Amino acid sequence: MKARTLLERAAAILFVAVLLSPLLLVVLFAFSSKAISNFPIPGWTLRWFREMLAFEPFPTALSNSLLVGVSVGILSAIIGTMTALGLACLPRREAQIAMLALALPLMLPPLFLAVMLLVWFLFLGLTLGLKTVILAHLLFTLPFVVVVLYSRLSSFDFRIIEAARDLGASPWRAFADAMLPVIMPVVIGAALMAVALSIDDFILTSFVIGGGNTLPMLVMSTLRTSVTPMTNAIGTMLISLSIVSTLIALYLTRYRG
Amino acid sequence: MLSRRTSYLLLLPAAAIYGGLFVAAAVYFFMLSFWSVRSYRVVPDFTLGNYVKTFTTHLGSGEKTLLIAFVIATAATVLGFYYAWIIRFRAGRWAPALLFIALITLFGGYLMKIYAWKTMLGSDGAVNSALIAAGLITQPFEALIYSPTAVIITLTHFLLPFAILPMVAALRGIGDAEIESARDLGAGSWPVLRDVIIPRARTGIMASFALCFLISVGDYFTPLLVGGKMAMVGQLIAPQFGTYFNWPLGSAMSFGILAVSLVILGLVNAGLSLVGRQ
Repeated sequence: MKARTLLERAAAILFVAVLLSPLLLVVLFAFSSKAISNFPIPGWTLRWFREMLAFEPFPTALSNSLLVGVSVGILSAIIGTMTALGLACLPRREAQIAMLALALPLMLPPLFLAVMLLVWFLFLGLTLGLKTVILAHLLFTLPFVVVVLYSRLSSFDFRIIEAARDLGASPWRAFADAMLPVIMPVVIGAALMAVALSIDDFILTSFVIGGGNTLPMLVMSTLRTSVTPMTNAIGTMLISLSIVSTLIALYLTRYRG
Repeated sequence: MLSRRTSYLLLLPAAAIYGGLFVAAAVYFFMLSFWSVRSYRVVPDFTLGNYVKTFTTHLGSGEKTLLIAFVIATAATVLGFYYAWIIRFRAGRWAPALLFIALITLFGGYLMKIYAWKTMLGSDGAVNSALIAAGLITQPFEALIYSPTAVIITLTHFLLPFAILPMVAALRGIGDAEIESARDLGAGSWPVLRDVIIPRARTGIMASFALCFLISVGDYFTPLLVGGKMAMVGQLIAPQFGTYFNWPLGSAMSFGILAVSLVILGLVNAGLSLVGRQ
């Protein structure tokens, strides 16, 4: 029994190390003074971050990533709240079926979804660009946002709304004054989850963006040409953005899988 | 509570996005697979030629893709199940922390994880340099990178959080009482796992396996960046929408491999339902 506990503890530690180490190493080598990502590390430097800042396509890629991420966050928060509220008023079984259907795009291989959206956007005559990227991202961020908000609303006391309505509040005022302040942390958290997913996305973006750049697209283009630790610096930026959003999101929503 | 009409109105924007972007796109994409290309133009048509081509010319790479995806999905599901099992039954007060780590790694870094493995597995990468520094080897392993092994390692690592979470949810649904009663009836750890835990968690196990399998089948950038000369189906599909400009063939390849994948998933599900039921 004792040996088994020890084995399980070792396995858990190994799992955590394997899950985290690739990303941690990317960050670690971004600060290494050597041009090749390996051990031993001779010294520490901020040179690669300075190179990143001076890298010509970097500012546009960063602002595009942020623009898309924030738009996707806001849109999925608004639409997600409406959807979760609508579903909360339906019978539980119907709501669950609707959420399962909404999650179907996540079950397709991302490449299939990407090429499918590409040909559909071209068929509709839309110009590829950041707008088509935002539309594509909404398709896979909404299911997350809706599930998180729906589970918050299922423990919400709807008598508060009825009380506000009885006291003469319009449906909108009842929502804005009695419900929104209570669910706001979860709405923001769910929106940040959407931001993290959007900023990190590469597959859909690369097919439906047309010509522009985002941070993952920039990483890919450096991978195609010459890899220096500047790629690690851009990657560190990317990982920090998505992980910080995720951490705040997990804290606010208390979402645990 | 809201009236049924108001609640339908609230669902309208999501329904518009889902219908206009997903359902309509999927229908169009499916129709495309029966069309043909003449002098660089897609012509509405009805031909099964694209499917015939998919299942004849590209059969080899399809088989290889399915095999690799099967290995990856199995590895991710088994490892993920073990991790989820530790979280549910063994970790005690550490369980929330272990779950938390799986969640953060879920949301971040598809491309960064591929890049990380690419630099780590290279001949002058972190894995080789650490092994040499530790005195375990003298010459770097060349075979680590640009091989099916590299694809399997990279994708299994990427998919592990996706495999863990549905199974954590499934194991959460099994009460301590069920396991206690099986123990009281004299079942050891292995029979408890086989006769109680696995059958009760089957939906979660299947969800994990299906997710990992489908994502691996359609993956494109992992084999492109760390797979070397090997070609998975994704690498044949993607250029049909770029350089080769053959959307109908690309569509037929997508639906073809998807259909075969669903059949395989059905068989895996049937196999899994036999566990603990003899």
